[in-house]
Amino acid sequence: MPIGDLDVPIIGKNTVIAVLVQAHVLFAAFIIGAVIIAATSEYLGLVTKQPRYERFARNLARFIVLLFASGAALAITFVLALVTLFPVFFSYLQNIFFWVFLVEAFMFLGQIIIVYAWYNVWDKLAYRKSLHVVFGFVAGFFGLMAMTMINAVASFMLTPAEAPVNDVARTFLNQTNVPLNMHRFVGNFSYAGFLIAGWGAWRYLRSTREDDREYYDWMGHFGLIWGFGFLILQPVIGYGYLKGIRESAPEAFNVIMLGDKSWLFLLLMFWIALMTVASTAYFVHKLRFAVKPMPMMRKMTIGALGFTVLFTVLNIIPSNASLVPQIGLVFAGGEDTQIPLGSMYPWKYIGLIGLMIVGFFVIALYLKATASGFHFGRSSRWSQYALISSAVIVVLTMITMGYTRETARRVDNDPGWLIYNCITMDQELVTDLCLAEGLEGGEGGE
Amino acid sequence: MMELALLLQAGDTGDPTSIGLFRFFLGFFLIVLIFSSFLFFTYWISKDE
Repeated sequence: MPIGDLDVPIIGKNTVIAVLVQAHVLFAAFIIGAVIIAATSEYLGLVTKQPRYERFARNLARFIVLLFASGAALAITFVLALVTLFPVFFSYLQNIFFWVFLVEAFMFLGQIIIVYAWYNVWDKLAYRKSLHVVFGFVAGFFGLMAMTMINAVASFMLTPAEAPVNDVARTFLNQTNVPLNMHRFVGNFSYAGFLIAGWGAWRYLRSTREDDREYYDWMGHFGLIWGFGFLILQPVIGYGYLKGIRESAPEAFNVIMLGDKSWLFLLLMFWIALMTVASTAYFVHKLRFAVKPMPMMRKMTIGALGFTVLFTVLNIIPSNASLVPQIGLVFAGGEDTQIPLGSMYPWKYIGLIGLMIVGFFVIALYLKATASGFHFGRSSRWSQYALISSAVIVVLTMITMGYTRETARRVDNDPGWLIYNCITMDQELVTDLCLAEGLEGGEGGE
Repeated sequence: MMELALLLQAGDTGDPTSIGLFRFFLGFFLIVLIFSSFLFFTYWISKDE
């Protein structure tokens, strides 16, 4: 029976997959990050005996349980859409990654079972708290393993291993699997942290009771430590990831870093610049309410805010006047007009390294202040708007990053690739360019 | 380096079709719509507990 080549009217089948996957990832990344943040918070409650950690962990666990259905429904819908719209491509993937998909499915199952059990036995294990905390971390572990499995597939699509496809280890550990996994591992905490901070800020602004204001003010602070703390690790991990892409899929790298879609990287840095500046400004504000007054540290943080702005500006200057050619944003001669300060070397490297160093400095100062505590419930409205803005921007960052990675494989659209240099967007196998041997079956694929 | 960069842009994607642009923005709108509505729904079913 011939396989139909279905398309979706108006929206197109590529967009259908993009929408389903991106929406799924926005939930999945939050759930993986939030489970571990909640389990850590529960553990901190156990150690410090501060009730807000327990309250936060339990409320977040309930939200995760309820949110799980949305993430899972989108995942199933995505797989159904992939099988229906890209059946040939999916059969290649299934042949290459049978074991990976199988492990993925069981990790997903394990995560569901343990997350539900974790929330359900909260009261039952109230006197065996250590055991209960383990439930949360085990659920987080299953989530991370599920992510690791799907990362093997996603990284292989961009940088297929230069090995026979039946060499399971090399196919799994293709050139960008490890950096992608690190990037997403850290990203989950950062993303979930910013969303939690944004939610805390929103509730703080709407709370009238004093204890609620204290709790939600603390939630914003706690979420931002996760969000910003892990965000500042991303430049070096992202650099490692991009280096892997440059070495294994140079044309794809050039599309997103030098070519017509280099604006995506600038847009990404723009989002990160806004989040970094908003977070540092929040820290500056919050240091006013330290239990132990720290005027010198606050002044140093203000200085760090200045450096943050300087370094972020370096990262968002375009290298030429062709900003977004796709929508006609081309000025003063376009690509022929070079902007020296926008070049990667040395300016963007200085910007990225500077951003990380200043970020570490700021978070170290803030954590030192956190050790002696804050007076919660007194934050200004604008500091909460900074948290809400960061939460919105982190979602835009996730969408931008997802689009960037996937569109890199399109190269010049002649042809675009589903698996880089191996399978075209039309699901045709190209064996002469493909470095992964044996995709066509036969001897190499037995 | 600059010559290399320009050479690599020879087959460019800088001139997409109008349907391509339409799908790009529609896709973005749908992602935000699905995410925010599912998130709001989850909040709504949990807020009275």
